[in-house]
Amino acid sequence: MGDGGRALVASARLEFQQLNRSRALVALAALEAITFLVLVSLFGLTGSRAPTAIVDEDHGPLAASFVRHLDAAHHSFALRHMSAADARSQLHDGNIVAIITIPHGFSSDVASGHTVMLPVVVDNVDTDLTNDIKEALPSAIVAFGKTHGFGGIRVVAAEHDLVDHETGYIPYLVVSALVLDALVVAGILGAFAITREYEARTVDQWRLAPVRSGWVLAGKLLAAAVVSAGAVAIALAIVVLGYGVGARDLSAAIAGLGLCVVIFTAIGAAVGALLRRTLPVAALFFGLALPFYIDSGALEPVRFDGNTLWKIGHSSPVYNGVAILESAFHGLRVTPESLGQNLVVLTLWAVAAVLVSCAVLARRVVRR
Amino acid sequence: MSTGRTPRETFKGASAVARLDLAVWRRSPWAIAAAVIPAIGMLVLVKVLTMAVLAQPVALVQEGHGPQADVMASFIKADTDSYILKTTNMARANQLLRSQEVAAVIVIPKDFDEGVAKGRAALSYTLNNVDIDIADDIRRSVDRSVAQFDAPQLGASAPTRPGTRTTPEAPGLVVPNPYRVDISETDLRKTAVPFDTYQVLPVLLLLVISVGVLGGALLGSRDHERQTMVFLRTTPLSRVAFVTGRLMGTVLATLTVLVPALVYLVLAGNVDPPLGHWPAFLGILGTTVVLSAGLGVLLGVLFRRSTTVALAAVIVSSYLFFLGGGFTTIAFLPAPLRALSHAVPTRYAIDGMRQALFYSDLHGVGTDLLALTTFAIAAVGAGVFALRTETR
Repeated sequence: MGDGGRALVASARLEFQQLNRSRALVALAALEAITFLVLVSLFGLTGSRAPTAIVDEDHGPLAASFVRHLDAAHHSFALRHMSAADARSQLHDGNIVAIITIPHGFSSDVASGHTVMLPVVVDNVDTDLTNDIKEALPSAIVAFGKTHGFGGIRVVAAEHDLVDHETGYIPYLVVSALVLDALVVAGILGAFAITREYEARTVDQWRLAPVRSGWVLAGKLLAAAVVSAGAVAIALAIVVLGYGVGARDLSAAIAGLGLCVVIFTAIGAAVGALLRRTLPVAALFFGLALPFYIDSGALEPVRFDGNTLWKIGHSSPVYNGVAILESAFHGLRVTPESLGQNLVVLTLWAVAAVLVSCAVLARRVVRR
Repeated sequence: MSTGRTPRETFKGASAVARLDLAVWRRSPWAIAAAVIPAIGMLVLVKVLTMAVLAQPVALVQEGHGPQADVMASFIKADTDSYILKTTNMARANQLLRSQEVAAVIVIPKDFDEGVAKGRAALSYTLNNVDIDIADDIRRSVDRSVAQFDAPQLGASAPTRPGTRTTPEAPGLVVPNPYRVDISETDLRKTAVPFDTYQVLPVLLLLVISVGVLGGALLGSRDHERQTMVFLRTTPLSRVAFVTGRLMGTVLATLTVLVPALVYLVLAGNVDPPLGHWPAFLGILGTTVVLSAGLGVLLGVLFRRSTTVALAAVIVSSYLFFLGGGFTTIAFLPAPLRALSHAVPTRYAIDGMRQALFYSDLHGVGTDLLALTTFAIAAVGAGVFALRTETR
């Protein structure tokens, strides 16, 4: 090993020691990785199953059948059986978003061919939520009529799925959140590795090193990347073991996450060299992560959101990272580009990020 | 640091510390940026989501051109709440589906009119069911279109009085349909709040939490890193004055960011509560500022180094925001999380603010304010205790 290699190893060892002395920081970085999994899970929980009171005053077989159809209406309702008074109280307290009342005589009236009116009270505070409920009720009604073969129904919907399996919303979200983890954790630790040198004023001493400063920098960033990879691995383990989301192609998943860690460590280092201050780094990466995450196909294929958002999505490697992970875990294609194309583009991102980072660090750190 | 000063001297000392902290804050643009960036990121997220969560891109292929097929097509075309529609031919539709420019292709087949005449027509659709969220949105929309065809007046039934059910004495108006079930919807409030307006409020709260927690924490960590705590111990300043001053300084620092943001939102029409709700709204906002300042002071004492403090403040703010219902609806969460949210102070802030802004009455706001005040007192108490212990 030459002098450069030895300097790299020594620099990496020093960075590990510094991180070892900042265990609270490393622990918080790992916690941040887990935090994003929690956050997207909370978001996912609100995407379906609106808490709805069902007031069944009929208790007949057709009423029970209708309730079953409400329950099966495309993950729309989380039905809670209760009395009318309780339902009104819960709606007023914001614990439920709607009340569906099945009136007395429902079963006999429907059986004798009459149309029965169901009173539905909706807390229409948020139009998105209200629209979901308004659309879900016809779904249940259509399915109810179809099941019982009522006369006069002339049209039914016939669905053909492009994907041969259903992917739950939370399993979809937590997989894409792993890329977000890599962005935030590797970005922050990569940036901290550089800002710490500025704030401790040790960056000037790099000129005294008997090797090129690039070796020292590479060692520091290597250590930051390894620790980041460890934090992301914890999040990955939680996704696999905790959420029970298995990878169909583990090697592609690891390759994708590994490339993301390299990219974001390099970008973090460049940001650290530009800011030279630790303070805004964590908030900056957190703030940037959310819009980049949303505009990357993390919730649904971003192309569904229109060409403008799709084009903006390409400005971040998160787009390709999410595509690779969704393919590796769920076998889903969430971008028009194939898995191979996304892997190539992500590799190019890694090369570009390292080159840009080298250029920024050379200008701001080495040649200052 | 001394004790046993008169209240007037204590107040003077506290004011001096608060002014100093405010001056430090104003001269720390990076700290202000760090506190504001998460809220700006969240605002961008809300705007992007507004575009993403509503209607879905769908291609319509009308192969049948009989009168019934035209009626079906007209229902689908008119449903702009559900579909961003591209009417095209089958080859182009399949291409759009492959390139993910549409999420589904709905086909009205050639024999649609014949099928309708025989009572077994099918509206077929191919769905990119990449996840159940988007797939279910489209399934619900197609079902609604199908329901409209056989029951065009679905939802038109009405009771004698809104919100009540029909009785033999008051049968109301029931419009028959082949599904034998109709709905009579009553909305709880007169106006529905658009998604982005609904979500701007939690973003404002995130700004308060972020600035308060980060501001208080960084002022504390700065004392350690610059070793000004040693200097403060030698001043003729009572501990009470210092602690009070630090809290006042953090509150003032938060207000320097909050007030312009609030004025902007009021002028933009995003914050427009009924006149009588302003005191409650401002009360909740003010109590949240105090709560955040208390938590910030506590974090500053606990974590000391600005590197750690900055990261810890972001994490604490995130949990307070999300678990409090910032980007979620608490009622949707599983029972254990709903129970946990009772221990999250921001839940009361968000609930109270939504009630004050979007509802016609202040039902529950008193309870929210009481709970929030209790949490704020506890946070300030813990912060004061930690700070006093530290300044000994």
